[in-house]
Amino acid sequence: MSQMTKVIESNASHGISLRMRESLAAYVFLAPFLTFFSIFVVRSVVVAVRMSFYEWHILRPARPFIGLQNYVELLNDDVWWISLQNTVIFTLMTVVGITLVGLLAAVSVTKPVRGQGFFRVILYMPTLLSVGAVGLIWVWLLNSQFGVINYLLSFINLGPYNWLGEPELVLPSLSLTTIWWGFGFPMLIFIAGLQSIPEQLYEVARIDGANEWQIFFSITLPLLRPTILFVTVTGMISHFQIYGQPFIMTAGGPGRYSYTVIFYLYQVAWTSFRMGYGAAVAVVTALIVASLTAMQFIFARGRVEF
Amino acid sequence: MRLPKHFLTYFTLLFLTAFVLFPFSIAVSQSFMTNAEVNRWPPKLFPSEPTLEAFNRVLTQPDMRLDLWLRNSLIAATGYTLAVLVLCSPAAFAFARLRFPGNNVLFGLLLITIMIPPQITLIPNYLLMKDLKWLDTFYALIFPGAANVFGVFLLRQFFQSIPSELEEAAIIDGASYFQRFWNVILPLSSNALVALGIFVFLGHYNDLFWPFIVTNTLSTRTLPVGLAILNSSYAGQFRPTILAGAVLSSIPILVVYIIFQRRIIRGVMLTSGLGGR
Repeated sequence: MSQMTKVIESNASHGISLRMRESLAAYVFLAPFLTFFSIFVVRSVVVAVRMSFYEWHILRPARPFIGLQNYVELLNDDVWWISLQNTVIFTLMTVVGITLVGLLAAVSVTKPVRGQGFFRVILYMPTLLSVGAVGLIWVWLLNSQFGVINYLLSFINLGPYNWLGEPELVLPSLSLTTIWWGFGFPMLIFIAGLQSIPEQLYEVARIDGANEWQIFFSITLPLLRPTILFVTVTGMISHFQIYGQPFIMTAGGPGRYSYTVIFYLYQVAWTSFRMGYGAAVAVVTALIVASLTAMQFIFARGRVEF
Repeated sequence: MRLPKHFLTYFTLLFLTAFVLFPFSIAVSQSFMTNAEVNRWPPKLFPSEPTLEAFNRVLTQPDMRLDLWLRNSLIAATGYTLAVLVLCSPAAFAFARLRFPGNNVLFGLLLITIMIPPQITLIPNYLLMKDLKWLDTFYALIFPGAANVFGVFLLRQFFQSIPSELEEAAIIDGASYFQRFWNVILPLSSNALVALGIFVFLGHYNDLFWPFIVTNTLSTRTLPVGLAILNSSYAGQFRPTILAGAVLSSIPILVVYIIFQRRIIRGVMLTSGLGGR
């Protein structure tokens, strides 16, 4: 203790108080992070918002201020609305899919069966692949002429279907691909959720003579509600930002039936080079995603209280 | 008749395993075929004469060099992971263990920015890369996303959970702030650092949009970008080559996963903010 006081005294005798030293140290520790953060995040957000009020073409030197015109154009832009609609449909299908498959997988691998660890490892595998690999594998499986999926369906006298070439089939096909790729994360979250349910609850129910289905629907599912909420909201946030699957598998086609908002952002900014209009697309997309994230924060608070 | 115990569970698990493995096995099998054999109806599930032609092409054709893409991906993702750790851990240390005016306000502001989705920064950051002449360099792949707020948040929480007695002992020994950070806090946080490292590494390794717009030659193109280009320029012609590319590109990540699966799964749990520590 006396040593401690000595340290403090010796610091104080240097003329700078301990408090100031500590603050100074803190700012030094923060400086690198804040520098990068200011340049690549703060500055960029400000620039993006500002650019969205300008006619800003990468090849034209003149960049006039045009007020809200980019936003007015966006409101009347059919391609934007088609992209948004596709994205919403895709997101809903995918989130329902990964939640159901993830829950089914989690319930199965937490049962006391042999090879539990093995199944858990295998089922999480697709999640680690890059969208490039996933897209290339599935685009060929779904091929209308030589694809293995049509081949399998031919045994039960179905098809052949043009999975990625039909307007009604393309989004479900991309969604199926994404469910395969993405159900591993919800599965892990559900495993954690299932393990946090006290074992006694199940024992009591069994003593009362409940069967496995009754236990699942009256104990497991209600207690998993916060987890389900978390999984669906984080799923919506990440899958709303879909881009790689249409980019690799369909190039937005057929027609514009698999355009998504981020895909459209790419088209506007890096194919047509309309950076100002692209910034407006980005700002609106960001607002949509941010409101989903705000939802998650609100729900997350509920989850902690639970 | 009564079904054996856990029949339904085994059935579901086998079904899901088949669902997961089937697409990948088909890709592996067909990447050993010739182009003629792949373009045939009914499709063949196994090659009649396995050939390495496709693998050979994807590694040596002048414009599709999977080996270079992999190298670039590893350099970029490793560089990015190091940059995130180097920037985030000192910042998290300051927020977690040091008293300074504005600590809570600054942290609160940072936390709010987690809600800002990254897409909004794409165009300005791209133009900045262009002005700095960083397009097609590793700088563009490493630095723009390195100030990761989520990383600061995660590490701060972990640092706060370390008992302060350990640090007090160091203070009595006259340790400087840097020594407290480097010799006390960091060694005790290896779990969190590894978890964050795995999380950002995988995210970066699989990213497509940003690398696609900032790279345009073999010297920096990453795997996902290469695969996307492979598909758009060779679809139809060299199907087994494309599949070989998809398979080969997945092997490193799957090998790492099989070796470190416990750590990786624990890391995913930790970074998802739901226990697992």
